[in-house]
Amino acid sequence: MNVTKRVINLKNLSGLRSAVATSLRPFSAAAVMKSDDHKIDIQVGKGAPPERFGTDEEQATGMARLERLAALEGKSPFDMEPLQLMKKGTKTEPTVVASGAPWRLIGCQGPPGEDHELIWIKVERDHPYDRCPECGNVYKLSE
Amino acid sequence: MQLYPNHIVETSPWPIVTSISLANTLLSIVLILQGFNSLSLKISIISLILSMSLWWKDVIIESTYQGHHTTIVMSGIKIGFLLFILSEIFVFLSVFWAQLNAALVPEIELGGLWPPLGIEAVNPFGIPLLNTLLLLSSGATVTWAHYSMIKNTNKKETIISLFLTILYATIFTLLQLFEYYYAPFSFVDGVYGCTFYAGTGLHALHVLVGNTFLIVALYRIIKNHFTQTHHLGFELAIIYWHFVDIVWLLLFIIFYYWAS
Repeated sequence: MNVTKRVINLKNLSGLRSAVATSLRPFSAAAVMKSDDHKIDIQVGKGAPPERFGTDEEQATGMARLERLAALEGKSPFDMEPLQLMKKGTKTEPTVVASGAPWRLIGCQGPPGEDHELIWIKVERDHPYDRCPECGNVYKLSE
Repeated sequence: MQLYPNHIVETSPWPIVTSISLANTLLSIVLILQGFNSLSLKISIISLILSMSLWWKDVIIESTYQGHHTTIVMSGIKIGFLLFILSEIFVFLSVFWAQLNAALVPEIELGGLWPPLGIEAVNPFGIPLLNTLLLLSSGATVTWAHYSMIKNTNKKETIISLFLTILYATIFTLLQLFEYYYAPFSFVDGVYGCTFYAGTGLHALHVLVGNTFLIVALYRIIKNHFTQTHHLGFELAIIYWHFVDIVWLLLFIIFYYWAS
């Protein structure tokens, strides 16, 4: 397993999205540590001298570091808000949902209003598109 | 790319191994009660301690070295720990209930008295009072350690005060052992002995667990795992230690002072 460490601090925060581990794909069964499936790219700080406690900027790693550094700038790197849709997705213009994984679960309530009860749909990367069985909304994963 | 702050844990054998060890421990206790030897229990307890240590080692790797513990994950862990403390409160509640049920209206077989006829209660103002002072001081020193970590980031001070806490906890345990050895009554001496040793024994086990937790926190402080703001393992150890302290105060009042 190749582990490369890259020092990320406040200065190069904008290059972060590309730097984040392509290997952090927890839905894949390959998350079990097998040979050289993927490189692991963990952000580390520059560390602190042993006589005192480190600050989060110096010592946090990985996802916690991403979150902490972004919070220092007042924003959050995670996509936690529900997706507000203005219109229904169609086959020609599917609703694109952000994901880096091979599949993602979407809860559909019949946008633009809340037309029907919440239905969970599994949107897979190798399907051309996935539809909600109740309202026909078309979903597709992003790159 | 991971767009969510939650932590999806990788496949791990430790939950099933811990469950099996725990099941073996309980079944071994049943075997001992049926007259078999204690080999099975020794193996089960060792395997239980090993599997718990290996599991928590993995948690430390995930948090300190891989950075999976975002704010949401930390919040989930804190809630889980508080629920665990709640369940421990209920365990102690059951022991206190047993004691008070027997003691508030003493049976005629005991002589209608509490302590029962023939039982020489421990003087609460001897070693138990010293133990109370030890635990209260350890609560103060552990708060000192936490403050010096947050406010001054003075690592030496944190290490010294945490070491003092662990020292007081160890002295408490040794004093309890001394008391147990030289006590005038034992576990099988009627309902007084039974409830007394069940309560103080359960508490002593919790002191050992809390002490171990604090020792692990001290080790991690020395090895620079914690930062000034992110030290969940240390904070949880402190919460657990305060819980142990409060239970001792209740024990002291109800089992030692009022019961004599």
